Amino acid sequence: MKNLSRHIVQITTLLLLAGLQVQATTLKVCATCPNTSIRKAIALAKPGDSIVVDGGVYREGTIDIKKPISLIGLNNPVLDGQFKGEILNIRSSYVTVQGFTLKDVEVSYLSDNAAIRVAEASHVKVLNNKIENAFFGIYLQRADSCEVRGNVVHGQATTESGSGNAIHLWYCDDIRVQDNKVSGHRDGIYFEFATNSHIQGNLSQGNLRYGLHFMFSDGNVYMGNTFRQNGAGVAVMYTKNIVMQDNLFEDNWGAAAYGLLLKDISRSVIKNNTFKRNTAGIYLEGSSKLDVQKNNFENNGWAVRLLSNCEQDTFRLNNFVGNTFDVATNGNTVLNYFSGNYWDKYNGYDLNKDKTGDVPYRPVSLYSMLVERVPPSVMFMRSFIVDLMDQVERVLPSFIPERLVDANPSMKRI
Amino acid sequence: MKKKLNLLFALMGLLLLACEVAPQEIVYGQVNCAHCNMTVSDSRYGAELVSSKGKAFMFDSAECLAAYLIDNPEKKQDAAFVLVTDFAKPNTLIDVKNAAFLQSENLPSPMGLFLTAFADKNTAGQFQQKHKGRLLSWEEAVLAVQNDEKPF
Repeated sequence: MKNLSRHIVQITTLLLLAGLQVQATTLKVCATCPNTSIRKAIALAKPGDSIVVDGGVYREGTIDIKKPISLIGLNNPVLDGQFKGEILNIRSSYVTVQGFTLKDVEVSYLSDNAAIRVAEASHVKVLNNKIENAFFGIYLQRADSCEVRGNVVHGQATTESGSGNAIHLWYCDDIRVQDNKVSGHRDGIYFEFATNSHIQGNLSQGNLRYGLHFMFSDGNVYMGNTFRQNGAGVAVMYTKNIVMQDNLFEDNWGAAAYGLLLKDISRSVIKNNTFKRNTAGIYLEGSSKLDVQKNNFENNGWAVRLLSNCEQDTFRLNNFVGNTFDVATNGNTVLNYFSGNYWDKYNGYDLNKDKTGDVPYRPVSLYSMLVERVPPSVMFMRSFIVDLMDQVERVLPSFIPERLVDANPSMKRI
Repeated sequence: MKKKLNLLFALMGLLLLACEVAPQEIVYGQVNCAHCNMTVSDSRYGAELVSSKGKAFMFDSAECLAAYLIDNPEKKQDAAFVLVTDFAKPNTLIDVKNAAFLQSENLPSPMGLFLTAFADKNTAGQFQQKHKGRLLSWEEAVLAVQNDEKPF
C-alpha cells in the first residue's frame, strides 16, 4: 500500500514536470525575425524558456539575465561590448549560455568588467562560447554547482595591470571547468576561495602571468590540463587537499618562472604529471605532507627546488631525466623523503640485479648549493672544476645535506 | 681642464644620487612579491618597503607588506620608507602613516583580505559610501592581517 502511494506521488511529479516542459517555449532572435533584440526577448521570456539567437551582431550594452532561461546561439551570433561595461550579467540560477562570440570588454581600474559574469547563482552553464579581447573573460562570484565547458577565451593583453583573468572564480563551490582554451590574459585560470571543484582538460598558454593560479581553494581536482609558455608558469598557494594528476607543465622559462610554484600547500597529491623545459619544474616553499609520485621531470633547469621549510613531503617513483639540477635546497635541514626514483645522473651499480641501485643517490650537488647561495656562480656551469667538485662531494659529502638521499634509486626509467 | 672637472663633479653627484635612500618605482609584471613570491601585477595594490640602506622590497599588496613586517620585526625597525599604492591613483606610492585603509567585501584585494589603501581619509570615505565596509589606519590594518580578519 505504501509502495502504491509512493508510485502515485512519483507519477504525479513526472506528469507535472512534463506539463512544465510543454509550457516552455522557444523565442527566436535574428535580423529578419519579428524580434531583433536579445534584451527584448529576455524581457518576454518566462522562466524555463529558451531564446535562440540566429547569427548577427548585437550591440545592446550590458544584458542582464535574472530568470532561469537558456540563451542559445546558432550560426555564431556576436555580442559586441563596444568597450563599455560588461556583456552578459547572469544573476539567476539555472541559466545556460551557449554558442556565442563575445568581444571587446572595457579595461577598467575601478571595476573588474567581464564578458560573462555569474553572480550569486547556481547550476549555471557556460558552454562553447568564444570570448575575444575582454578584460576578464568568464567571472564567477559566489556561485556553486556551475559548469564552464568548451569555451575559448583569448585576450590581447600586453601589460599585466591592463588585463584580467580568462576564467576567474571567487568564492565558489562545486564548479566544473572543462575543455576550455585560454590565452593572452593575466592569469589563465584563477581561483580564490573556490572549493571542491573539478578542472579538467583545459589548455592554458601564453598568459602574461600564471597559466593557473589559485589561493585558499581547498579540495579541488586538476586533471589532464596543459599549462604552456605562461609568463610565470603555475602558482598555487595557501591551500590543502588538492589532487593534481596527468597535467603537462611545459616551456615556462624566465627568471621568476616555475612549472609549478607551491607555497603553503599541504596534504595534497601530485601524480603522473610531466614537467618539461621549465626553469624550475616544481618549486616548493612551506609545503608539507605532499605525495609527489610517478611524475616525469625532463630537461628542466631545476627539476625540484625544495626549500628547507618544507616537511614530510614524499618523492617516489619519479623520473628525473636531462635536468641541469635534479634537486636544489637552501639549507641543511631535510625533513622530506625520496625513494625509488629514477635519476639519469645516477652512476651506481646493481650487483644483485634487483633493479634498485646498491649505493644511494644524492640528488643535491655541491654546485647547486653554491648556485643557491651565490646565483652569479651559475656562469661556471659545466666547467671542469665544478664537475670535479661535485664528484668529490658525492664520495665524501660534507656540504650537501646528508639526509637528502634516495636510498633505493631505480636503475630503469619508470 | 675645468670642463672635465665639472663633468667629474657632475658624475660624482649622480653617483651620490644613486646611493640615495629613496622609494623605487614598482615595475609591474617584472618583480616578485618579497612575501608571497607572486609576480606583482596589479598597479592599484602594489606596496614597497625601503630599508635604511636603500634596499627596496616590493609587495603585491598591503596585506603582504603587513605580513612581511609581522614576520620580520627587525625590518620594521630598519625601514626608511613603508609605502602602499593609492587605489584612486594607480602607480602612485604613498606613506602608510598618511594612508587610510578601507576593508570592504566589495573590493577584493590580491591576497584575499579586501584591504584597499587611499591617500587620505576623505577619499577613503567617498569609496566607503559606495562600497561600504570599515575604515582602518595602518596599525589597525596590520592587526587585521595578523588576526586574518575578513569583512564577513
